[in-house]
Amino acid sequence: MKVALAQISPHLGNIRKNFDLHLQAVDKAKREQADLLIFPELSLTGYLLKDLVETAALDPDKSPIFKEFKSLSRDISLVLGFVEEKAQDKGLFYNSAAFLDKGKILHIHRKVFLPTSGMFDEARFFAQGRNFRTFSAPYGKIGILICRDFLHYAASYLLFTGGSEIVIVVSAAPGRGLAGKNGFATSRMWELMGEAISRFSSAFVIYCNRAGLEDGIVFAGGSFIFNPFGKRLAQAPYLKRNFLIQEVDLAEIRRARKNWPFKRDDKPEVILEALKRIVHDYDD
Amino acid sequence: MTMTIDCPFAARILTAFIKEELAKFGFKKGILGLSGGLDSTVCAYLAARALGPKNVLGLILPYGPSFNEDVRDAVRTAKLLKIRHRIIDIAPMVDSYFERYPTENRVRRGNKMARERMSILYDFSAREKALILGTSNKTELLIGYGTIHGDLASAINPMGDLYKTQVKQMARYLKVPVKIQKKLPTAGLWAGQTDEGEIGMTYAELDEVLFHLVDERESKEELIARGYPKEKIEKIMAMIKRSEFKRKLPPIPKISSRTIGHDFLYPYDWDK
Repeated sequence: MKVALAQISPHLGNIRKNFDLHLQAVDKAKREQADLLIFPELSLTGYLLKDLVETAALDPDKSPIFKEFKSLSRDISLVLGFVEEKAQDKGLFYNSAAFLDKGKILHIHRKVFLPTSGMFDEARFFAQGRNFRTFSAPYGKIGILICRDFLHYAASYLLFTGGSEIVIVVSAAPGRGLAGKNGFATSRMWELMGEAISRFSSAFVIYCNRAGLEDGIVFAGGSFIFNPFGKRLAQAPYLKRNFLIQEVDLAEIRRARKNWPFKRDDKPEVILEALKRIVHDYDD
Repeated sequence: MTMTIDCPFAARILTAFIKEELAKFGFKKGILGLSGGLDSTVCAYLAARALGPKNVLGLILPYGPSFNEDVRDAVRTAKLLKIRHRIIDIAPMVDSYFERYPTENRVRRGNKMARERMSILYDFSAREKALILGTSNKTELLIGYGTIHGDLASAINPMGDLYKTQVKQMARYLKVPVKIQKKLPTAGLWAGQTDEGEIGMTYAELDEVLFHLVDERESKEELIARGYPKEKIEKIMAMIKRSEFKRKLPPIPKISSRTIGHDFLYPYDWDK
């Protein structure tokens, strides 16, 4: 399978311009004969929306833009980030990512962990998702996480238990900390998680971050792909806009799982019971 | 943790910031006040890298016609970088005000001069279609060592997250003339003024304490336990507290259901 990562810098709150940005990437990915093209978190809207959230919201079942994306997905599978507001849930805005394939939306993940501390204020503007589900795609079982979701390792465990063979992480991760060499301290954090989750879930981890700046926040770029052995197959440069193309061998999932039977030996029932006891014993 | 930064990477970020932020608002040119000191020199180096020397205008705004050493250093920086520059003596404007409202209070006089420079920068900003690059560093912003609506005013402030110590690191990396690197920092509010003299400690001491307090979120007690003198920590904390107003827009009393600054919240880069 050929994967393309569009490390773009969306225009904040301008869906029309961002749609064009997506079209350019789709053209490029199709020229490169990619099977799957992934965009970052909130790729259609930009990240730091604040009160713009409501004007940027789309209903994927009704929006003309989604209709266009659905038709584009006849030639290439797409993952894109957007603000979701369903007709039946008016006023609830989700930070969502959709997987589109062969003219259909196969899956939408709503961000569960909305960072709201320090420089982040997401829970002020977004409703929180409530689920981590895998879904079947032509390339195997896939799970999608959005940015901070990935830093809560239980989210990856749920996808692992749900059978994910490919974990797609879409991100708008700002960089911070310049004490190290060549890059942000926080980029190392994402790479560490990517390596660990890919290796210990024997799954591909495909991380697409964005580039560019918004209100002085610097998005770190550095999108990457780890194979099911925890080996980094490719990485986009930090900071810069980039378009990364990488061939991945899906047979590696089976090879990794034969060598390291983490999946075979997983004990979700034990975990579930232990979790129940822990939650039950909270005394506040 | 350490205050040493990866200068090449920081320079990439700051030049990208200058370039992209100007482009978003439809500007190609940047303008800044050049004092001949370290901060404005480093900012000019970054601006020249980001925008190209022809798109940077340095205004040299001395009080009085004498071509003193700071003016000479500023001119030299402009020439080294091949950026445009212009010298405007602010004495006629400032003196005409103080002839009417005389004072010997050097802080009032200094603040007036800082605001006169700001006023000229903003007029040239409109005249040249150039955005104003601020030159305030994180140390000054935190302790409030700047004139509100004077040198603290700008359109974008590229070095606002670099402590003075880190600006010095950047100066070394950018190969700013050693003479400017070694200059004693001064706000230039009056002759013989130095920042360190006025603040009562060196930037090295000040930045270390600020770094632990702000970046590392350590408490006063933790800093005392680390061996920093209690009086200095308290003085610094008081300066931070006293100057919060310089880092904020003026407060608005909330009357309506939606109020600017309280719950009318839009990004700066709205639709860019």
